[in-house]
Amino acid sequence: MKYLPLVWAGIAHKRSRAVLLLLQIVSAFVLFGTLQGLSSGIKQVIAHAHVDRLYVGNRVAAANMLPLSLLQSIASMKGVAYITPEADLEGTYQKTDQSVPVVGTNVDAFLHIFDEIHASPGAAEALRSHRAGGIAGSALLRQYGWKIGDRIVLQTPMPKTDGTRDWAFDLLGSYDVPDAPEDADSIITNFSYLNESRLADRDRVNRFVVKADAPANAGSVSLAIDTAFANSDHETRTQSDADRLATQIQQTVDLDFIVRGIVGAIFFALLLATGALIMQSVRERGPEFAVLKTFGFSDRFVLLLVLAESLVLCLSAAAIGLALAYLILPQVRPALTELNVAHLPTVVLLFGLALAALLALLSSCAPALQAARHPIVHALAKR
Amino acid sequence: MRLLRQVWLLTACALRAVNERRGSALVTVVSVTTVVGVLVSLLAIREGTAIFSAQSAPPDLMVIMGRGAKVPFTSFLSRETVQVVGQAPGVRKEPDGTPDLYATILVPVDVIRADGRRGTVFLVGYSPGAQLVEAPVRLIGGRWYRAGFHELMVPAPVRQMYRGMDVGDQILLRGAAWNIVGVFASRNSLSDSFLRADADSVMSAFGINHFQQINLRLESPSAAGEFARALAANPSIAVDVKSRRELNEETFGPTNRLLYYIAYSIGGVMACGAIFGALNALYASIDARRRELATLRAIGFNSASIILSVLAESVVLALPGAVLGSLLAWWLFSGDVVSSNGQIFHLTVTQHLVVIGVLWTLAIGLIGGTLPALRAARLPVATALQES
Repeated sequence: MKYLPLVWAGIAHKRSRAVLLLLQIVSAFVLFGTLQGLSSGIKQVIAHAHVDRLYVGNRVAAANMLPLSLLQSIASMKGVAYITPEADLEGTYQKTDQSVPVVGTNVDAFLHIFDEIHASPGAAEALRSHRAGGIAGSALLRQYGWKIGDRIVLQTPMPKTDGTRDWAFDLLGSYDVPDAPEDADSIITNFSYLNESRLADRDRVNRFVVKADAPANAGSVSLAIDTAFANSDHETRTQSDADRLATQIQQTVDLDFIVRGIVGAIFFALLLATGALIMQSVRERGPEFAVLKTFGFSDRFVLLLVLAESLVLCLSAAAIGLALAYLILPQVRPALTELNVAHLPTVVLLFGLALAALLALLSSCAPALQAARHPIVHALAKR
Repeated sequence: MRLLRQVWLLTACALRAVNERRGSALVTVVSVTTVVGVLVSLLAIREGTAIFSAQSAPPDLMVIMGRGAKVPFTSFLSRETVQVVGQAPGVRKEPDGTPDLYATILVPVDVIRADGRRGTVFLVGYSPGAQLVEAPVRLIGGRWYRAGFHELMVPAPVRQMYRGMDVGDQILLRGAAWNIVGVFASRNSLSDSFLRADADSVMSAFGINHFQQINLRLESPSAAGEFARALAANPSIAVDVKSRRELNEETFGPTNRLLYYIAYSIGGVMACGAIFGALNALYASIDARRRELATLRAIGFNSASIILSVLAESVVLALPGAVLGSLLAWWLFSGDVVSSNGQIFHLTVTQHLVVIGVLWTLAIGLIGGTLPALRAARLPVATALQES
């Protein structure tokens, strides 16, 4: 600690040069933090996705629905804990641009599978006993000012057996998605209500949602389902939540590849720049080091001094850069991904600081050795 | 004239001495290379997706999908709907009365990539009439498929990127063998991503009896409004009408804009870093040449020529980076890539992108050179000469 002034004096030897180098390193770490933060953040979201939640859809064309009769054979498969059919209804409320999605399910299984959805107490029981009921998302209630007990009529493209396309739902309760409040934007109703009241598509489902009894069994369950119906006239494609997210994200290009490429290029350039500058600074300060050695400081002390200078510079620059990235990331995230990547992951911060230390050591080891080995007489002779 | 000669002499002199400052010159070259390399690579991706931009679509092309469908996969159009749409007002017709219209059905096919990984490509079944609407595709091997047979054609990029995709190979679909009879190339468009076959053959093989998308040409772009109103007013069909431009804008517009945004913001931050680096390298170069510069000032070179020569040195040191960066981007980011949803992009480093790279390099060189140039010009001659 007592040598800190000495380290500082070394950095401040050419102040403008140190400031410019600092800014160069800061800009590199801003990019590193933002890009790596984004890519790791997305990976974390995928890692936290429900691998045991499986969506079974028609393999050939999603518009081709699946027969409800598959429910029994899937439910009896080994490893299937819960299963619900889903029927979609695209409704609009009063105006054509106020769309309200409706999903018909078996509500008990549905709430077991989607455990992030919290229904108000008693809502599930009420829905079970009231066929034309609905549990509305709290975001919907807020948007349209609906209250529990209201009867909501939606206009839809799906004709009913009575000839109209207007569907009525009695609101029996509400639900929340605490992790993503804006996702509570649908009406959950009974599959049987949609199924028996619609004119077409009787006993057909848009998809089944399955919960495997353990995440480790998800792969085998998914394979078993697809194998069971292969080459039938209703081939299935079973995907986990994580699969669906992964395909959503890697839309155009491999994000990881680009991030790694850019970060690699930046640090290669930075390593050269830092190395060259420290080398020059050490060369200019040859006499200073000679004086230190004359006073009795060891070669090793001079070596450590140069290393410490570059460590202090790189680490402080990295800290500034990562702090900026921490501030920037929430601003750019919405433009880049719909996923809920909240903050710069801690692992990226630690990795960044480790990278800064590595940068400092690699770029200063040669100059430091040179400073340590330079004979006093030669260095002073230049004066 | 005299100024130019002075600048030339000074720059030549400074550059001859570059060998002594190999380190800092190399730093400048490498940092500019990385900036240009990254910028041009990212823009090359953007260039690849430009085929999906709104401007690339002819204005009279309309696309029809089942009501509410956002992607073909979820769209449902019966054969009757296709008939009705063909008779709607505003659709361009051939002399014999056939409308310029075709309908498609899209099914996924499991394939093995050249690198051994699993992938998915899409097989599109075309109803007759595609050549009335789209730019013609070029057959580059084999022959066209015949209606009613299990025969299909493969686009050239798909043949390269996946295994077992050459003329004479067979693909298993729903347990039945389909023969690959031809390889085609379209003009860098979306259909380069899809296998082609006859719609009826595909539908009977997959047990489907509906189309997913109708593409048609109008008599003129101005007929679009009347055409859309006629379809909306017809109670027997439920469809959404869009122009190909609108569809491209909806599907790819945000991605295209995002790629610009990413390329320029990453490029911008990297360029800042490179400018700081260039400043440092030139300051170092000038510090090392203090005596030399002071001597030159003392024997009559004026400060304007010194400023210009430092700027010239900065730009000359930066330019190799532009060339190397563009080459690197061309080496890494040209050719066909496939996205996870099965679309094939043709990445290209165009002249236009190289020009952008060179312009950025000039900017980095000039901005990075200005402050050091001023310092060199303001060098106090007497003190600089006294220093040992």
